[in-house]
Amino acid sequence: MSNPRLSHSAALILKAISLGYCFGFDVMEITGLPSGTVYPALRRLERDDLVESRWESEEDAFSSQRPARRYYQLTREGKAAALAATERYPLLARLLPEKHT
Amino acid sequence: MSSRPSPLPAFHRAVLRSAQHLVPVSERDEFLRSWHAELFHMHHCVPRGRLSTVRLHIDLPLGVVSDALWLRTHSLRRSLAGTPALCLASLLSLSLFSFAFAVLSYGGWHGLGVHLGSQAEHCLVAVPIILFVSSAIASFSHVELNSIPHTLRWINHLLFAGLKTSLALLLTFLLSVCLSRPLYIPLPRAADLLQILFFVLFALLAVRWSFHDQEQRCKQCLCSLATPARVGRPSHNLLEWTGTEQTCKQGHGRLSIPEIETSWHQYSRWIDQTSSLDHVASA
Repeated sequence: MSNPRLSHSAALILKAISLGYCFGFDVMEITGLPSGTVYPALRRLERDDLVESRWESEEDAFSSQRPARRYYQLTREGKAAALAATERYPLLARLLPEKHT
Repeated sequence: MSSRPSPLPAFHRAVLRSAQHLVPVSERDEFLRSWHAELFHMHHCVPRGRLSTVRLHIDLPLGVVSDALWLRTHSLRRSLAGTPALCLASLLSLSLFSFAFAVLSYGGWHGLGVHLGSQAEHCLVAVPIILFVSSAIASFSHVELNSIPHTLRWINHLLFAGLKTSLALLLTFLLSVCLSRPLYIPLPRAADLLQILFFVLFALLAVRWSFHDQEQRCKQCLCSLATPARVGRPSHNLLEWTGTEQTCKQGHGRLSIPEIETSWHQYSRWIDQTSSLDHVASA
């Protein structure tokens, strides 16, 4: 399967998810992109099967005293697309630091 | 700290309450749940001062609204994709846009009216000739229908084809008027000739497209056929059927188009799946 051509913003978001920034605000904060770009882009990436989302378990959320979050992770196609995007936009790797958990 | 998460500020609750009406009903709960979690995180988990007031009060509400709009447009796109209504609406909006552009480029209604009066007569004469030539040279294949179609269905089919072709012709006429506009003042006669040439060329293409599009639509609901799949192997052409099959997204039937016309599969064949299912159900 050929890698889809991604815009710079989509590539940045995909790279952020690959580095462990896994929910909307996290991605928005590290990329510096406005929320009006990040959230619809996440939906587009999910529609194109590059990312998939899952809900955090209610128990985990309850123990942290907050509502359950929607976490995003890369699919196999998404990982290939993130690699291709890093080759296309080499600065991406330097722009985003890996997330320390 | 209480065991229940504290609510969001009134402003963000109001934004969510308003934006949820933009979201399709089936996706509303998930939209509210994910945004509630995101906004809660911003208000209660991010240290004070890390989020600017602009981001909190302008950027985030914009994010909520654009996310809701994306969900709405995506749902509309999914439900309207390939429908005859979308085809006619697109042609109509393109025609209106071209008309508005023509009005502006001719400096108002009066200027355009004077020019259109003479040109429309020439183009109306050309239309039957274009339709005749397009029908004569069109490469569309005969479609065999496996079931007897309802009269109403055929009337719909013809009405849609007629409307689509008329709108396509109107659009080509307006496009030819807009394209010949730059020559209208320095070389009026050359502009008239060029406009008719443009019209004939575009109209031939438009009518051919209209015929081709009509072939590639479901014979029941008139939606575009999708998921083309190759069937058989070309090297086994004399032994088995080979060609392409396209199916209706609503499941009304499929169109088999033979790669090479043979005596046992000479024409494209429309296989009505609803009538065969009814037959199985009644048996």
